[in-house]
Amino acid sequence: MNYLKILNEREKEEIESKLNSQFGIEKVPGIIAMRGKERLFLFSGSFGEKDIKELEKCAFIERIGVYFAKLIKDEIRLSIEGSQILGNQVTKNLFELNAEQAEKWMKGQELLIKTGKRGFLIITHQGDFLGTGKASEEKIGNFIPKNRRLKERQK
Amino acid sequence: MKNRNYEPKPLFIERMNKLLGKEMDSYIRTIKKPPLNSIRCNTLKISPEELKARLEEKGWKIDQPFNENPEMMIIQSELGPGEIGRSLEHLLGYYYVQEISSMLSVIALAPKPGELILDIAAAPGSKTTQIAAKMENTGTIIANDVSLGRLKILSSNTERCGVTNIIITRKDGIALCRKFEINNFHFDKILVDAPCSGEGTLRSSPITYKMWNPKTIKVLSRLQKFMLSSALRILKPGGELVYSTCTHAPEENEEVVNFILEEFKDKIKIENISLPIKCRKGITSWEDNNYSNEVEKSCRIYPQDNDTEGFFLVKIKRIK
Repeated sequence: MNYLKILNEREKEEIESKLNSQFGIEKVPGIIAMRGKERLFLFSGSFGEKDIKELEKCAFIERIGVYFAKLIKDEIRLSIEGSQILGNQVTKNLFELNAEQAEKWMKGQELLIKTGKRGFLIITHQGDFLGTGKASEEKIGNFIPKNRRLKERQK
Repeated sequence: MKNRNYEPKPLFIERMNKLLGKEMDSYIRTIKKPPLNSIRCNTLKISPEELKARLEEKGWKIDQPFNENPEMMIIQSELGPGEIGRSLEHLLGYYYVQEISSMLSVIALAPKPGELILDIAAAPGSKTTQIAAKMENTGTIIANDVSLGRLKILSSNTERCGVTNIIITRKDGIALCRKFEINNFHFDKILVDAPCSGEGTLRSSPITYKMWNPKTIKVLSRLQKFMLSSALRILKPGGELVYSTCTHAPEENEEVVNFILEEFKDKIKIENISLPIKCRKGITSWEDNNYSNEVEKSCRIYPQDNDTEGFFLVKIKRIK
């Protein structure tokens, strides 16, 4: 069931601690809501948990804020928006692509690059934050969703 | 490629003739042309200057025709089919493809940071994302729609645009307003961008010619009156509401405004609106009906005036 849960302070701190250890991110600016066991949403609005509960009496809540991250086992993978919103706080595991690599990345392709790192990396190109990839020894795995991918140029 | 060969029904022509008279030829010429490629810079993610520079680097010629609204842009270059929605800048949420007249409702509503705003029929999200940008992702937007399919599109668009101050709800708009009234929810501002017969969208959606039907106009008019009336009940005193449609049919526009003026009397007033494009006064009579002179403060946007789609909007203030 797609149950939506507002994380309490302690639960939010656990997420921030994971983000800090992976990317150096200190603070998530707003309420974090969780749908299912892994999808995390960031809400920066003025409604608090009590207001949201009152609102639920009036209508079914489909979504709160923006999908910004996914919990995968003990790690966190940021979405494109998550990387854009929190990108200015990132101090580690950031990987800059060149133009050719960035085009392949936005087409949804994995990149055959030895980064010397393992685990999640935030991908950038000339100031654009392009989500998160997973580095292994030989490559960076791609998670760009289909509806956000560049299409092959039509000939 | 869109089929542009649908013919307007005789009754539609007759009604538009009554509205436009001698200008009918100019109207017909304009609606036969495809619409301009217009976009709105998503200032939640990038500034208009930066976006313009990036798009010009791709070889696109960008105009910003409105000094006070640099986020409103027209792409003057000829683009391939679908190219405007396939660019990296679009995929990253740096702009929203939106018709110029559709941007006017939010300009009239003038959302401010920190406000509580209800967007009753929010999908697909062009105006919702525009509201969020004006609010700088602060305050709260309740964005509602009744259709699950349309809500998916709304969610996808608000996500791409990085809207973080939003709560998306699913309910019939009128029923939602009743629930809000019972539970004492009141809003600073409300957008009622009502479901309508779409006469103004013939340039981008020529199939509307085929679907156009006078019975639908009557049914929609009734729905719009209930929707607007329900929304006004949950507007804070001093709060403002914009009612808009993308149709020219007076039954869906001035008649709806006249209806709520009679219902709410001195509890509301119609506000003057300042828009960056030419608009005409609301009409005060149609067929056998006469409307209050206050209805003249509404804005009619005709395609031939600004090379846009057609639109209607009115701003209403809750006095008490």
